Amino acid sequence: MAVEYQPKIVGFLCNWCSYAGADLAGTSRICYPPNIRIIRVPCSGRVDPLLVVKSFQQGADGVLIAGCHPGDCHYSEGNYYARRRLALLHTFLEYIGIEKERFQIQWVSASEGKRWAHVVSSFTEGLARLGPRETTLHKETV
Amino acid sequence: MDFSEEIRSKAKELLESGTVDCIIGYERATDGVVARPLFVYQPSNVDRLIFDQTCAHNLTKYLLNRKDKATAIVVKPCDSRAINLLINESQIQRDKVSIIGVVCPGIVKAGLDNTSGELQDACLTCQQHTPVLYDFLVGEPASEPDVPDAYPDVSGMEDKSAGERRAFWEEQFSRCIRCYACRQVCPGCYCLECFVERLDPMWVGIRIAPGENEVWNTIRAFHLAGRCIDCNECERVCPVNIPLSLLNRKLGKEVEELFNFQAGIDAETPMPFSTFDKEEKLGISE
Repeated sequence: MAVEYQPKIVGFLCNWCSYAGADLAGTSRICYPPNIRIIRVPCSGRVDPLLVVKSFQQGADGVLIAGCHPGDCHYSEGNYYARRRLALLHTFLEYIGIEKERFQIQWVSASEGKRWAHVVSSFTEGLARLGPRETTLHKETV
Repeated sequence: MDFSEEIRSKAKELLESGTVDCIIGYERATDGVVARPLFVYQPSNVDRLIFDQTCAHNLTKYLLNRKDKATAIVVKPCDSRAINLLINESQIQRDKVSIIGVVCPGIVKAGLDNTSGELQDACLTCQQHTPVLYDFLVGEPASEPDVPDAYPDVSGMEDKSAGERRAFWEEQFSRCIRCYACRQVCPGCYCLECFVERLDPMWVGIRIAPGENEVWNTIRAFHLAGRCIDCNECERVCPVNIPLSLLNRKLGKEVEELFNFQAGIDAETPMPFSTFDKEEKLGISE
């Protein structure tokens, strides 16, 4: 019997808002899919496009970046820089054939445990509908 | 069209007056057809300088090796934008460079010892025939042609489906031999340690495999987002003919649309990724 496809998601969460938001979802016992692997970063501005491209190359089906809402950055302006860079990266990834549904940038605050659960659930559902990536590139990578 | 004489007399004047101690320009290569870079230190050697439609190289890369030395350089309009970029990014000092700008009719495609006389693809949609920055101008300032669609190649790629684009780029990247000629030739690629050579963490594996090649080509292009001045040297030197301009120009087009910015037009406007506008949305998390 075929095993149901489970998308793999790499999530980069800012330490101050989204990581705390995900933590709140946990302590509030809100269920959301376990498909996401969370990597904690100091700020969404830390997310180098290289991290995203590398995740896709290593076999991720989707990449989610979550940070503080604009105006709420712990470092005042890190997410403003991230926003410009990642918006361009999003378009560029689509251009090189990585469907735009596979990459998401979301602002999730420390109090938005419910929103975090919703973001991950809908992202996972979307990826499951999309199916595995049609690529030969990551298969030969250990 | 032959600007060689004008360039020679200006070069001679600059060297003899001691304004600069080196002229970076072009000379005829040994095949007698194409041009190659030339460094002139003695006034007696200025007669070797030439300029014609085979002078493809973007010589501004060499300025990075002469940061504190007074240098004169022969630039085409696209190359002149690279000088603005390097000044903007504090890589070179404006007062150390004497710029001999040449009005460019477009550069022809050339092989080892032949030229078809056909313009290079990048020159077909060029809207910059007069240098944006120069101390001495050679030739008459040209009026810019009205190019209705500056990015026909990029639009063509955008019209394909995600699957088609994936297949296209996988095929292109699988041919890459990672010689890094695209990086070596690029005036915007001046990091002392490139991410591709980092060993810990090793971002790009040493194997020449499609996946590793994709990381290299994607990130190389992305590091030039909003910085590429569209001289197309990377594509010209690529030994396996990967259409790198399709990547660079897509990013250039998006940066122009999103941030209303073109690299190298002046040396003062802040680079798009070192600044931001609090009110902009950019379609994220709305």
